[in-house]
Formats: sequence, structure tokens, C-alpha cells
Amino acid sequence: MKVAYYSPMSPSRSGVADYSALLLPELEKRVDVVVARKGRFRRFPSADIALYHIGNDPEAHGWIAKALEARPGIVVLHEFVLHHLVAGLTLAHGDSRGYLDAMERGHGLAGRLLAFGVVEGRIPPLWETRPEAFPLAGDVLAAATGLIVHSYYVENRAREAGFEGPVWRIPHPAWPPGDVSPAQVEGSPLLGCFGHLNESKRIPQLLAAFARLRAAKPDARLLLVGALADRLAGMSVPEGVIREDYVPEERLWSLMAACDAIVSLRSPTMGETSGAAIRALTLGKPLVVSDVGWFSELPDEVAIRVPVDEREVETLAAALEQLAVDGAARGEMGGAARELVEREHSLPHVADLYAAALEEAAGGGAVREVLLKDIAQAAGEIGIEAADPELGEVSARLDEVGLGG
Amino acid sequence: MNIAVCRPQVPFARGGAEIFADELVRQLRDRGHEAEIVSVPFKWYPGQRVLTQAFLWRLLDLTEADGRKIDLVVATKFPSYCVRHPNKVVWLLHQFRQAYDLDRTELGQFSESAEDRATRRRVQRLDRTALGEARKLFATSRNVADRLQASTGLEAEVLPHPPQELAYRTDAYEPFVFSVGRLDRAKRIDLLIEAAAKQGVELVISGEGPDRERLERLANGRARFTGRVSEAELADLYARCRAVFYAPVDEDFGMVPFEAFLAEKPVVTTTDAGGPLDVVRERETGRVVEPTVDAVAAALVIGEDDARKWGQAGKALAQKVTWDSAIDRLLA
Repeated sequence: MKVAYYSPMSPSRSGVADYSALLLPELEKRVDVVVARKGRFRRFPSADIALYHIGNDPEAHGWIAKALEARPGIVVLHEFVLHHLVAGLTLAHGDSRGYLDAMERGHGLAGRLLAFGVVEGRIPPLWETRPEAFPLAGDVLAAATGLIVHSYYVENRAREAGFEGPVWRIPHPAWPPGDVSPAQVEGSPLLGCFGHLNESKRIPQLLAAFARLRAAKPDARLLLVGALADRLAGMSVPEGVIREDYVPEERLWSLMAACDAIVSLRSPTMGETSGAAIRALTLGKPLVVSDVGWFSELPDEVAIRVPVDEREVETLAAALEQLAVDGAARGEMGGAARELVEREHSLPHVADLYAAALEEAAGGGAVREVLLKDIAQAAGEIGIEAADPELGEVSARLDEVGLGG
Repeated sequence: MNIAVCRPQVPFARGGAEIFADELVRQLRDRGHEAEIVSVPFKWYPGQRVLTQAFLWRLLDLTEADGRKIDLVVATKFPSYCVRHPNKVVWLLHQFRQAYDLDRTELGQFSESAEDRATRRRVQRLDRTALGEARKLFATSRNVADRLQASTGLEAEVLPHPPQELAYRTDAYEPFVFSVGRLDRAKRIDLLIEAAAKQGVELVISGEGPDRERLERLANGRARFTGRVSEAELADLYARCRAVFYAPVDEDFGMVPFEAFLAEKPVVTTTDAGGPLDVVRERETGRVVEPTVDAVAAALVIGEDDARKWGQAGKALAQKVTWDSAIDRLLA
């Protein structure tokens, strides 16, 4: 069976390019894969099924969304909120009407009116201010013949949006950590926060909570690693915080390995997973996360979840202090994190799940047709018609065991 | 209790699974239950036919029969466990292995076509649903339980099934090796025939199956093929043989090792045989060797003293597996 594989690939710095670099070699051991390249999809690769990795970044995923529109297939929905992608495919190319139509399809007349406001510059771009309220995933869902998601959160959002096709929930694969030597960084405890540091990472809240921890534990340090978003550029970095900008992969692992616990906050969530959180679990590091989206689905044993509410900073400070003083709890959480990765996120396991989903999807329609034809023929031969209640019973039984849809 | 024991039936074929289900019914009746076999013919080819056949079980209504409530169904192997019942217990002999560990081997049945690949995945999904809804899940051996866990994530308790009741006895250790079972490729009787030819060991091979003609050609008159035998003949062959060969590929369990042990006969098996390795231990209850002609050939040569000693050790193991304890766990 052959799969046409659409994804941003290296040298793209997209997280999905990293994801595919990790997954592809293992997937290729299980199914034939032909990788589609940007700009070369006028003639679709000959394959039994197409797999499209869709995320919110128009630079990385715009061409993939267009290919999907032309040839429906299985979509790996890396995040549910695709407003930025849709804006990039329309407004960025001067296609105001396309954006207005997309907003109307997603959110009715009110959506169209808001889009007018954006187009005419009367209100700030929605993809910067409230994208989570206007996810604009509808067009992608309409073209998807099946979905692969990483979380129940995205699955539920897709179902709420009316997606009726098959959904496979496949955990994010873990990177093999290799031989990691912890970096020499002071701090007792040493906390870390990694990734692109934008507003949704709750950096001001993290810094406020860390300041409280420092009052009780003056030796505590916070490693803040990653490119800072423009809007946070003027932010002052308090005492005890160690800043590093974008670091190469090897340094990233090394810095993470030096930490006693890793903080991975998020709000609003676009339904994404966090590569930094997956790496932290791989290294057996306790996590502190926001109680939203995919992060909410992490088990208690590996993560302390902090609700995003008016007491967020207090709760976060308490969580950091708890981990700071309780080495045994850190050890237990670290052990549970490693077990979780082994059980759910190991690369061979994830590739097995992909192969299963792709094989089910590629031939599933034909299999279903043969089965239904068999049943219909047998029913017809003894005089049972399509409208007879007996066939309703048959249909219910088919659904029960996953053979109906 | 009114208990329906569900098993698929390949018409004109009778093997361990059929014997097991019949015996279970008999044992349940002996303990005062109303028990009955429920059977549906099974044909697993061509292609997607396996799903249609599996689905037939789903359409059965076993909640009651002629106004009498059926309290419990005990399903045994694919696809009988697709049956629908509020009190379904599965005592798993095996899944449809062509969809799992036998896939992409010479014993597999699914090609690389998109349809065949999808059929295989549908079988797997069916298993997760049908086995997952069982109130209790038992597996006949550690091997079966491990395979189930690896393929579906479902946990089963290991519950070995006692062998059929025969007039087990030990008459002699005559210089022949005995093999009994369905004659298909998975049972690896060809390995036995080639190995026996190397050492000049006499063979008696009982059972029927699609591979019989090929095996008879391979043996070229050096083995006696008895076909299907009666219970009395079977007990007699166990009673007289020197040892029993039983080395299918990654077998579920099979009743043969315990039957051999109850006749105080050692079992020759291979390191990749799966279930038999739960009870056949090297030079304790038989021989466990690499699955090569040379290794099996050497293992078939067993002196009478060793055969007796290992057979008696096997009998001690087999006597612990009783219907009383099995049924207690099944109905708990």
C-alpha cells in the first residue's frame, strides 16, 4: 500500500517538519511512502491514499491545504485553530472575498461582518486577538476523509464542528533522547521553560510565580529558553532568570536534562501538543502545565495542572514550591513520565498506529462495500427489503462492532 | 445456570478447539448446569469473507431460547466472541492469527492490496470491540494472553484448559514417536518427518487436514498416517508411544502436551512453539530444541528411562489442571 505524504520538511523550522523527520523513517518500514514536495504537486503522486499534515502556519502548511482541497484524504490535524492558516491563504494573497466567505461559512453572518472589520482595518486581526473563538477549521474538515489527532480535545472539537468521518487519536511520538549530558547550570531547584516564548506561554504569569518561589527559595533559578515574541521583547527579566535565545537541538536537550522540573504553560490553546513537554517526559522530568486542551489530558502522575483562572499565579507558585521541596515526588513523577513515554509515545508504537489508520482508511471503503453487499444480497434473496426493520437491526449491529461506518 | 458455549465450526474438521468446547459442555452438565454448544460454520476466505462470517455471530440473539433466559455465554475463539450478550465470558483459545502474528508470513492470508490490508485492520478493530465488551476474559495460555495484550491492549487471566478425558494409561515405551492434530502447515509435521528420516525414527501421525497429501508424499512410506482416530485408538497410541512431538509455530496452547503427560509420555517441542513452553521443559518434561531438522532429529532419540522419568514429571503438572478449578474461575 502506498501513501502520498504531505508535510513541511527540513529545512522548514516548523514543529511539524521536526515531527515528520522523526516519524517518516519509522513509518516507511511499515508502508510505502512517497513524499510530496512543495511546488511539485500539480501531478499528484500515485498512491492508495494521501496524508496531509495540517497546522496553523500558512508558510509551512498553505500548499498542503491547497493540495488537500484538490484531492481529499486523511488529515493529521496538529491543531484545531486554523485561523492564521486561512488568513494566510486568503488575505495575504489579496483575496478578501475568500476570507469573508470562510468566516461566513464558519461563523455565519456575524462572522462575515467581523471579517469586514478586519479587512477594512477597523478591528485588529482576529488571528492575533481571538483566533480560538474563530477556528476556521471547517474547510479542512470538509475535505478530510478521516482525521488523525493527538488529543481527545481536538477530536471533540472536530466532532462538535460536525466532522462525522473516522478519527484516530495517535499520541505525539517521542524523540529518542540519545546520549544527553546535563548542562552545567546553577539553581536549586532549576526550573525550565522551553520553546517559542509568545503570549500564550503565560510568561508574565510564570515570572510572577517564580518571584514568589524565589522569596522562599533564593537559590531557585528559571531557565527561559527560546526566541521571545515581539510583543514580549521589552519585558524585563527578573533576578534568578537565565535567558537563552533559540538553541540548537543538542543544547536544548542538555539544558532540559539539567532542570529539576519543566514548566509548559499555554492559554489560549489552539489544540496543539507541545514538543517541549514531550521531550521533558522523555527525560523523566516532572511537568507543570496549564489545565487546558491536550495538556489537561496528561495524567496526574506526570504533571501538575494549573487552571487558567484568577488564581493562576498563586496556584502555579504553590506547584513550583511543592516540586522544589519534594525530591521524592519529583523522582516519582519522573519515573511515571518515562513509563508514559514508553507506553504511549514510543516511536514504533506511534508508527504502528499510523500504519493501522492508513491501512484502514485506504481500503476501508471497499471492505465495507463488499460486506454490505454480502448482507444486502442475503437479505434480498429471502425477501428483506432495504426499508424493513430487520435491516435496521443489522445496521445497529454493524455499528456496534465498527463495521458500519 | 443456562450456559451457551460458542464455537465456530469448520465443517468436516475436528480438532482441539472442538474437543475442548464439547468437553466444557459435558463438564458443565456434570455440575448441574444446562449447557449447550452454539456453533456457526466458519469460512475465512476469500478476502473480506472473514468479516461477513464474523458478523454472523453478531446477529445471533442469545439472550434467551424458547422463553428461557440464557444466563451466560462462554465464547472460545474467533469469531465466536463477536456474539452479543450481557454476560459474555471469553475463554480465548486464539484470535484470527492471520490478522496478527502470521501476517506477512507464509501462513498469512492477507496480501499487500489496500483492501486486504484494510480487512486485516477491521478484524483487529472487531477484536478490540468484541473482546473488550466481555465481562471476563481468560486466555488458555500465557502465550495467548501476551499476544492479546500486545495486539489489543486487553488483559486476560491465564486459565489453561484441562485435556479431554480419555482412558489415559501407560502401556509401554515402544520405539515410535507419535503426533496428533490437524494436518496443516502451522503444525510443522514436515519438520518432524524430515527429522525422523534423519535418525530412522518410526512415526505414527494421526489427524486430518489440508496438508495430508503433501506430508504423505514427503514421508514417502516412512510414517504411518492413521487419519482421524477414535478416542480408544488415541488413548492406545498415547499409551504405547515413546514420546509425542508437538511443535506448531508459536502455538496458542493445544491439549496435546497435557494428554501426552497424562499417559506419562514426554513431549518434544521447539523454542518457538509458544504455548507448549508453559509446560514442556528441557530434560524435565521433554525436549525443547531449536526448530531445525538437525536439532529435532537429535531430540527424537529418547531412551526409555528418560522418557518414563520426563513423562512422569509431566503427569504431575497435568494433574493440577482440573475442570473443578477451571469451572469455578469461569463462573465466579
